[in-house]
Amino acid sequence: MLLRKNLSNLFLLSFLTLFSLIFTAQSSVVTGLVIDENKEGMPGVTVKIDGKSSGTTTNLDGKYSINIENDSVRLIFSFIGYRDQAVDVNGQSNIDIQLQLATKSLDEVVVVGYGKTTVKELTGATVQVKGESVERLNIPRMDQALQGQVSGVTINTNSGSPGGSSSIRIRGLSTFGDNDPLILVDGVVYDSEGLNALNPGDIESINVLKDATAGIYGVRAANGVIIIETKKGRKGSKPKFEVGSYFGIQETTNSLDLLNAAEYALIKNEMFIRGTGSPIFNNTDLKMGTNWQDTIFQSAPIESFNFGVTGGGKTSSFSIGGNYFSQDGIVGGNKSSFDRYNARVNLVNSLTEKLTLRSVFLFTHEQRKALPENGIGSVLYNTINAFPTRPVRTADGNYEYLLEVSDIINPVAQIENTHNLAKVNKLVGKQEFEYKFNESLSFTNRLSYNYASVDDKSFSPLAWYGAGKYANSAINADLDPVQVEIAEDVFIERGASVFEQRATYLDLNFESFLNYSKVFNDHNVKATLGTSVFSRRGDVLNGTAFNIPNNSIDFADISANMAQSGYLNNTGSYEFEERLLSNFLRAEYGFKYKYIFSAIVRRDGSSKFGPNNRFGYFPSFSGAWIISDESFFNFKPLSFLKLRTSYGISGNDQIANFAYRALLNGEGVYVFDDIITSGVAIGTAANPDLKWETTRQFNLGLDFQLLNVLDITANYFIKNTNDLLFSPDVSAIIGSYGPGGYPPIINAGDVSNKGFEFEMAYATDPNKRLGMNVNFNFTYIDNEVKSVPDGVDFLPGAGFGVGGNTATRFEVGFPIGYFIGYQTDGIFQSQEEIDNATVTQAGAQVGDLKFVDQDGDGEINFSNNTDKTMLGSPIPKFMFGSVLGFNIFGIDISTNLYAALGHKIVRNYERQQPYANQLGYVMDRWTVDNPSNENPRVTTSLNRNGVFSDYFVEDGSYLRIRNVQIGYVLPKLISEKFGSDYVRFYISANNLFTITNYMGYDPDIGAAQGALSNGIDYGFYPQARTIMGGVNIKF
Amino acid sequence: MKKAINIFSIILSLSVLSIGCSKFLELDPPYTQDAENFFLNEADYLRALTGAYDLLQGMFVSYWIGDIASDNCIAGGESATDTEGLHQIEAMTHGAFNDELRSIMRFNYCGIARCNFLLEPKENEIDFPSKATILAEAKFLRAFYYFELVKFFGDIPLVIDERLGVQQIQQLERTPASEVYSQIEKDLNDAIAILSYKSESTHSGIKGRVDKGAALGLLGKVYLYQENWSAASQTFNTLINSGNYALASDYNTMFLKENENNSETIFDVEYSDQEGGSYGCLICLEGNLTVGYQGIRQYDGPSYGDGNSYNLPTQDLFNSFENYDPRREATCLNIDDFIANNSVGTTYGIGAGGHTGFYNHKYMKSRDEMLNGIPDNDLTSGVNYRVIRYADILLMAAEALNQSGDDATALTYLNLVRSRVGLFQKTSSGTVLYEDILKERRSELSCEGHRFFDLVRTGKAAIEITNFVTGKHELFPIPQDEIDLAGGNWSQNPGY
Repeated sequence: MLLRKNLSNLFLLSFLTLFSLIFTAQSSVVTGLVIDENKEGMPGVTVKIDGKSSGTTTNLDGKYSINIENDSVRLIFSFIGYRDQAVDVNGQSNIDIQLQLATKSLDEVVVVGYGKTTVKELTGATVQVKGESVERLNIPRMDQALQGQVSGVTINTNSGSPGGSSSIRIRGLSTFGDNDPLILVDGVVYDSEGLNALNPGDIESINVLKDATAGIYGVRAANGVIIIETKKGRKGSKPKFEVGSYFGIQETTNSLDLLNAAEYALIKNEMFIRGTGSPIFNNTDLKMGTNWQDTIFQSAPIESFNFGVTGGGKTSSFSIGGNYFSQDGIVGGNKSSFDRYNARVNLVNSLTEKLTLRSVFLFTHEQRKALPENGIGSVLYNTINAFPTRPVRTADGNYEYLLEVSDIINPVAQIENTHNLAKVNKLVGKQEFEYKFNESLSFTNRLSYNYASVDDKSFSPLAWYGAGKYANSAINADLDPVQVEIAEDVFIERGASVFEQRATYLDLNFESFLNYSKVFNDHNVKATLGTSVFSRRGDVLNGTAFNIPNNSIDFADISANMAQSGYLNNTGSYEFEERLLSNFLRAEYGFKYKYIFSAIVRRDGSSKFGPNNRFGYFPSFSGAWIISDESFFNFKPLSFLKLRTSYGISGNDQIANFAYRALLNGEGVYVFDDIITSGVAIGTAANPDLKWETTRQFNLGLDFQLLNVLDITANYFIKNTNDLLFSPDVSAIIGSYGPGGYPPIINAGDVSNKGFEFEMAYATDPNKRLGMNVNFNFTYIDNEVKSVPDGVDFLPGAGFGVGGNTATRFEVGFPIGYFIGYQTDGIFQSQEEIDNATVTQAGAQVGDLKFVDQDGDGEINFSNNTDKTMLGSPIPKFMFGSVLGFNIFGIDISTNLYAALGHKIVRNYERQQPYANQLGYVMDRWTVDNPSNENPRVTTSLNRNGVFSDYFVEDGSYLRIRNVQIGYVLPKLISEKFGSDYVRFYISANNLFTITNYMGYDPDIGAAQGALSNGIDYGFYPQARTIMGGVNIKF
Repeated sequence: MKKAINIFSIILSLSVLSIGCSKFLELDPPYTQDAENFFLNEADYLRALTGAYDLLQGMFVSYWIGDIASDNCIAGGESATDTEGLHQIEAMTHGAFNDELRSIMRFNYCGIARCNFLLEPKENEIDFPSKATILAEAKFLRAFYYFELVKFFGDIPLVIDERLGVQQIQQLERTPASEVYSQIEKDLNDAIAILSYKSESTHSGIKGRVDKGAALGLLGKVYLYQENWSAASQTFNTLINSGNYALASDYNTMFLKENENNSETIFDVEYSDQEGGSYGCLICLEGNLTVGYQGIRQYDGPSYGDGNSYNLPTQDLFNSFENYDPRREATCLNIDDFIANNSVGTTYGIGAGGHTGFYNHKYMKSRDEMLNGIPDNDLTSGVNYRVIRYADILLMAAEALNQSGDDATALTYLNLVRSRVGLFQKTSSGTVLYEDILKERRSELSCEGHRFFDLVRTGKAAIEITNFVTGKHELFPIPQDEIDLAGGNWSQNPGY
């Protein structure tokens, strides 16, 4: 209510202001026509007299006229995306001119917070990626397509399943909690989880603000900011249509080398003989057996259809787009699928000469189905551990139970019994009024909104996976339901169930800002002053209903439930709201465009924090020196040279709401009179002094251009994040470790990221018949935890195995989530070796892994941490991305490579149970005849070979060909016969191959379960290799 | 000029907007209650009491350790790293880094914090008839949780009637065990003064709400652990002479769900089989997980469900029973014999965590329970954990009486327990009787979580437990992490 009142007041006030201001224009002497590369008239081109701030623009036909004082002036023509051109008048009264497209030019416009600037004037470490280079890859998700395209931005796949997410990290992992950058689409806050709702074909440009200049976004800028602009039209241009479509087939990039039946029988017999004395297979001649991977991997289609039209009239321009995208999974086919429909309308209207209205509407509808993934119990985890000596179905037609491994179920049956669907409707938009008082001053008011409704439905049929399996929902193979006793001797059935949830989220954001820009002779001044009011709310309602008729998906709806008196059915709901109130100021001063200084300060108030720390100030400073513009600079091959630096403070407030208060949202449930009775308990303990994380970042950068064609950018940065927000362990005495209880969120711990980034781009004129373009980028990041909370040596992270050891830690002196465990030193080859060893390893037998005594006390200690050591980091040290493209007489060839090096992955998908299947490396286990020094003996008897050690840690480095593509553009003579300007056919392959030593499915593993689960592989759903063909037509 | 005024008004509006609305940021959590100013009526007190009871369900850890640390059971399980802390305790190699010991510290202190939330002084204290009973139950629970802690760790910080913040913990010292015991006795005496017996009409009659008998039983046990023989025997006598309790007739079926809340029940932890759960949060469960955990690995045959082969009885325990003592079979299931006699050909798995041939017969998943329970029945059993039962009271009373010289009554109590299972009557006295009572405790109460503490308090641990070091293993180490989190000033228990 309060928000609405304030918004309406401000609107009223701003409109009163707008309509009270009127100014007049000028007359002309020099006239002419400005045309583009297609020889069409260009409207809206700025024509200025050199040294003056005022000027004119071309009309709809591209014609202009300008008043000049004398003949010796010089005219400057400029337009976004084109190179500036200067012409001396020299008495001419008519000057026609053709503007050249900027390839990667210094005049290219880069979007920064609440404004735009040019590459030349940029003081911060900001990178722009053109929408085209993302769209062209035909990678379904925008963020995946961005992988390897920008230095300093690490993108890992959290899941390769259709509609799965990625983790985007700008300049490293800087916090324990939320590391996601702030993402804005046309100025509207967009959550990174929902990025797959965007159609890559709608994107004009992606601008990544990596350093402290992102501080204009204050308390949300610490993880960097990504500003995505969607395609816009141009005033006075004829409608241009664009149609594109592709179709492809996906398959897995890799399958694991698992034991076949004969190998399995051999290994297991040896294992059991060593353990219990007797073999389990009398006959080991079992041939290949079942290849469980073959039963669940399949080839799956992917397709996309894209449509767009842009154009503009006299006072308005538009860009409209639509897309249909559909992808099935390489595991589970249509049980793991993603379908997306996008519609986009961008309108710009000049309501009056001074008042412009910009409207953006982005609508997305998506449907996703997913299988259990990346964890114990996931389809792939079950597939890897299912043993090959059993068929998928037994002779009676039932699914094989795989009874010997109690926690592994038949993955084919699991897929069959998985039914879920998530439907998302998302509307993102804004209305923005910009009033230009004059050339120097403008006032912008905008209201933006992001509405999403997410409908989930999942059906759990009565299922039987065999006696004792955790996933059973029936009590026997006849699928009889469980009888639940609801009162003494009163039993009711608990049949198939359906869960439905509707969640709606609404962001409302009102922003108002003044932009000022003026040139006084050699001095230019820019300023932005504004305010932002932001609110996010969510409402979630869900219900579960039992006894769905016929155990059938056909009746999977709450309305169809037959639960007696609805006794078992239940419902749940929750709501939340969070708000942000901000003011910001940016001031920039330039002298002769050679020395540029910029200062930003933002004040943010966040409802996440209590009254003690509700408001924060975030300043940053930056400067640039364009050395190549100095008169003393005379080195011709270097056509441009700029030195940049920035330093500033930004924040991160991404924690749960009301963490500063103690709420009774814990679980206090006990059983009285045999009935589960709910009480209350404190959930998260209170911390009234909670505040935002603070990131202080220094950046030193160098931009230069060689011979006008080769652009190079290098950055060195130091990014220190302090007062990390997280819930480290607290003393048991606080009482936080009961059901539903969590330790308080506190500010403690520091993390540092230092790094070096390098980008190089070379491109010949894209309009030439022969050409090439090369992009290369390189990132080096050194991540180190600098401090942890008092009284805590380290924070334990993800576990290894089942009920097993902690495998990752957050600890001073190491990267976030580094791997810790025992170091091995080969295999004990003989009893003498064990007996004579200087180090005692309790229980060691011949053929066991030999561990290293880290603390030198002469004993391997398994009951504490003294002999554990660092086994590697999940964070790549180096990353390379590269694009190489050629075009010859209409044929274009391009490749896109990405490499990540210097990190480790934990092989955590092997169930350490006697009957579980194993990987082929076990064939090289230690035996008397095969004295392996790598792989320990196999046995079912008690041993320590399964403790977390470097035996389970593998090198995760890889080089991947992300995309290879060959296209052909029809000669215009031919395409024009079909009434088309441009027709391109192409075939393309994604993830064609990967060079890696990693044994698992896919080395590109993100951190789906938070920063400390980075690099732990539970049988990751791999990204697909996709071969596709497509066409793009413009007319 | 006009322009200047307009710009000025814009700037003014921007600043008014932002300054005028800091109220805009003052949100209250929707539909959630705050811990402050919560206690407004009887229902609020009752709900907070339910929260305090909840932590009793975390007893599974101390229950396991009570036998695994002793000569009764081994840890078992899938592998030597499956709940590794139990394997270390079994081998007496445990140190200050042990997740299970840390859970004991965490669960019990959480229970204490929840009791203190109820018992702490409140700004606007309300009054109502049942309030005294609610607070008395909270005191019982607090005493119970402290007793668990003092049994395991000796000196432990005592926090009474307040909730502490992170900073305050740094100033806490370990309180001497004797002071902790005094507080436990005080809380229990307060509770006894208020609570009535379950059989009385003044008791709510709700199954699971503790009564005077539970408080007396626990108090007597607390005295026994301090070797205050006279106070112990006096307390036990009050309980025994109340006439509210009797031994259940059939030892074999006593631990079944349907025989809960019988004449022998003094104090149970209540569990339900109506709610599932996950391995991710064992303390969140409403079911008794030990029952499934102790089931037979990969078994699909008559009578029993399958499980995780935890807490397996040893041959030593099996051998310790007198011949013809039916409690031997009721305590230790010889799985191979059972299969040979009942279901030839049925197979089961052997966990790499250890195998003795015996399964824990008292708390073990039955086939009926598996078939009729809800799906994740590894974790979901409604079988209550019998914390204190009348036979235990009789044997504790016998021990206290014997120590204070009343052998005649001691012998009567001992023989009550023996005759229930059809064993001959003992006639011993003095130290022989003492040994008989201790031996009887093992036969009667094995696999119920008592053995290790009995061995320690009777000074027999070093004799019976392999690798037990006198002067060290009587207490468990304070988890090193807890020492560090409390500022690092606490001394560790001797030997660790």
